[in-house]
Amino acid sequence: MLDSIRQKVRIPPWEELRQKIYDRIDNRVRIITAGLSIKELRAVLRGDPPTERPNPRYRVITTSFVAHLRPRYYPKAATWFTHTFRLGWFTTFFFVVEVITGLILMIYYVPHPDQAYQSILTIESNVWFGELLRDTHRLGAEAMVIFSWLHLLRTYFTGSYKGPRTFTWLTGVILLLITAWLSFTGYLLPWDQLAYWAVTVGTSITESGPGVGPALNLLMRGAPDIGAGGLLRFYLQHVVLFPLLAILFISIHYYKVSREHGISLPASVEEGDLTPEEKKEHNRRIDLIPDLLTHELFLVSVGIFIMLVILGFGLFNSPLETHANPQQTPLDTKAPWYFWWLQGMLKIDPANIIETLLGYVGIHVELSQLLDSKFIMGLVLPPTLVLTLMAIPYIDRNPSRLARKRPFAITWGIIWIFIVIALSFMGTPAYGIETPAATRIVQDLAPEEGLGPLRAIPYAELQQGAYVVGEDYGRDLCPDLVYQPEPDENPDKLVIGCPALTTVFGEYSDRLLAAEDEGELPDLQAQLVIEEWQPDLKKVTTHIEWSDPDSGEVKTYEKHFFLHREREYSE
Amino acid sequence: MKRVQLEILLGTIFVLLSMGILIYLGFKEPTRMQDYERIQAAEQIEFGAGLFEANCTRCHGTQAQGTALAPCLRCEELFTTRLDEVGWEGSLEDYVISVITTGRQVSTRPELYPGGGKPAMPTWSEKLGGPLRDDQIRAIAAFIMNYEGYALGLVPTPEGVVVEGADPGRVVFSDTGCTACHTISGLSTATVGPVLDGLASRAGDRVPNLSAEDYIRQSILDPNAYVVSGFESGVMPDNFSEVLSDQQLDDLVNFLLTLAE
Repeated sequence: MLDSIRQKVRIPPWEELRQKIYDRIDNRVRIITAGLSIKELRAVLRGDPPTERPNPRYRVITTSFVAHLRPRYYPKAATWFTHTFRLGWFTTFFFVVEVITGLILMIYYVPHPDQAYQSILTIESNVWFGELLRDTHRLGAEAMVIFSWLHLLRTYFTGSYKGPRTFTWLTGVILLLITAWLSFTGYLLPWDQLAYWAVTVGTSITESGPGVGPALNLLMRGAPDIGAGGLLRFYLQHVVLFPLLAILFISIHYYKVSREHGISLPASVEEGDLTPEEKKEHNRRIDLIPDLLTHELFLVSVGIFIMLVILGFGLFNSPLETHANPQQTPLDTKAPWYFWWLQGMLKIDPANIIETLLGYVGIHVELSQLLDSKFIMGLVLPPTLVLTLMAIPYIDRNPSRLARKRPFAITWGIIWIFIVIALSFMGTPAYGIETPAATRIVQDLAPEEGLGPLRAIPYAELQQGAYVVGEDYGRDLCPDLVYQPEPDENPDKLVIGCPALTTVFGEYSDRLLAAEDEGELPDLQAQLVIEEWQPDLKKVTTHIEWSDPDSGEVKTYEKHFFLHREREYSE
Repeated sequence: MKRVQLEILLGTIFVLLSMGILIYLGFKEPTRMQDYERIQAAEQIEFGAGLFEANCTRCHGTQAQGTALAPCLRCEELFTTRLDEVGWEGSLEDYVISVITTGRQVSTRPELYPGGGKPAMPTWSEKLGGPLRDDQIRAIAAFIMNYEGYALGLVPTPEGVVVEGADPGRVVFSDTGCTACHTISGLSTATVGPVLDGLASRAGDRVPNLSAEDYIRQSILDPNAYVVSGFESGVMPDNFSEVLSDQQLDDLVNFLLTLAE
């Protein structure tokens, strides 16, 4: 029967058939890869030279849309790791990470004050890989800020903003602002205390602006206070407006690098005294396909791996404080760390400084009415700094890019790094904010948000009782207590007494007694009371009484904390 | 090995390792989510405990034991017969949430509470003009539900801690519901009844022939016998003789006598 079929249908010999199939597949592969044959693809992956002439790898760049955005090649010296450190590349990488994770998070997030916080809890507790997604988004955001700053510093110190790249630098500064604003708008979205107050303080800066200030503040907040309207405005800026702007400016910024002027050569290559051979080697073409592309894919795998290691092993956790509460200002309001420098600047009062300086030379003036410090430090100085940053290539007329030929620029850059670090330190709550002794001691013992030593005490050690500061309890507060710290994993392990509680109470007592000695809390009477409150719930009361040093009046500071057995703090 | 090959090799290894981490995390996800929910439930009870103390204790007592004004929320009755009594079809937690949200226009047990149960419980939801958000109300309900162990005797109710130096009358004052209506600086803020700061200095002059102590005692046990001008009669519960033991009454009177100008 087979023979009869063979007679009716002519089947070509095997070799011919094989060649036909191969040609068909090869044709498909050429279409998909925009110009590379199977053979060529193999050569690419092995790092072999091109198999055909003209070089089909360049054909890809003309025919493929995605590839045509890329350069055909870079000169070798421009790809030195120690020249760029891949900082701009990684900034873009994190932007892509943000877009991908952000799009997924948008499925679950609800931009309304009634539900925003709950939706974050749902993402964390009820979505597969939800915590990883949120952490990746947060870590990626912080990394993007860090890398864009580092990229800026690298460009500054290698003098790469000069020559044909002046406008590229300007778009870079705009991208830095977009990055900062993207991460600041995202800061509000969890709708926790951290978010709410950081943004309230942040937006309040605009209020001091002359004329349009209050209107601008209203425009941003959507109401006199941030509420449903403000959250929606921040959300839309975060997920629509600024991502689009970022894509636009990344395109401009990158296209200039890839198609117009390339990555700058290291100054030592561009201006240095090199032999023709060295020059030739440094300018040797490094092609996009395969060298740059495999390198970038390699960097992607490294980036993802490092992020997964950091997040998979809990080295980074996105903070989530308690639900936003407009009625309760937290003790320590903190801006995101990359805005600490701005917060630090706001603590400086220029009128006061000028008055003091003039006072030294005998001139006494009253400037505080004239110079509103919030307006100057918040609305005048930062934009001036940003404009100066943008204008650097136009201000700096020194044609050389070699570090030793531009000592002034290099010194200036280093000084600014130190200024920003100092301002950032001043921006932390540790600087320039004084809290009454009793409040501070209790806040350090059990902060409004997060763990603190009190909440870190194992539940079993919270032995009911009233512990009086100054009384001698011997070596341990609960000598009769014995408990198993790990009843499931390690039932033989026993803890005798309550070492953690004893330590915490000791610290609490020491600090209070020290404050009494220093005259801050005279006639101190203080207690730490632990009560059984409910099944698996204890109440801890810190009660502090003292006579006010000025008026002699008896003052009381009492705080109540509820600690549940199941509560573990992720820190 | 060429650089391209090395990078492809290392890249593949990193991708495989990343996938390994993801698979490892994937296996842990169900437990992680469970743990998160458990911790969240614990945090909710802690949060609710604070809110209960700030908002509810003035009428329901510092430990939800109930006062002359409002019922006990840690007693067996709430966890056993209450739902049938009011004809609620849903869960007890939903019932509690509903009561906190809307409050009560009229008491369901006017015979138990003074004034025929008026005013009854106020509304608490911010949607109905109260001060609390939905998540706060849910947290308070979670806290009340956590009393079940004590209420049904599943967990032995512990003895309270005696704070040295605490005035027993002050404890009676805050535990009996007095704080719901009367202000004493540092203890309560309420304006339904007269402010009690400096009470001892003026109590003796209110009614002829009544010493400060007798006047205070009478005001507690028979509040309508003398009503300070500016306040209505019939508002203060008149059942404290049943609510307070003799010892508690003495402690309370002694405490109020310390409130001199």
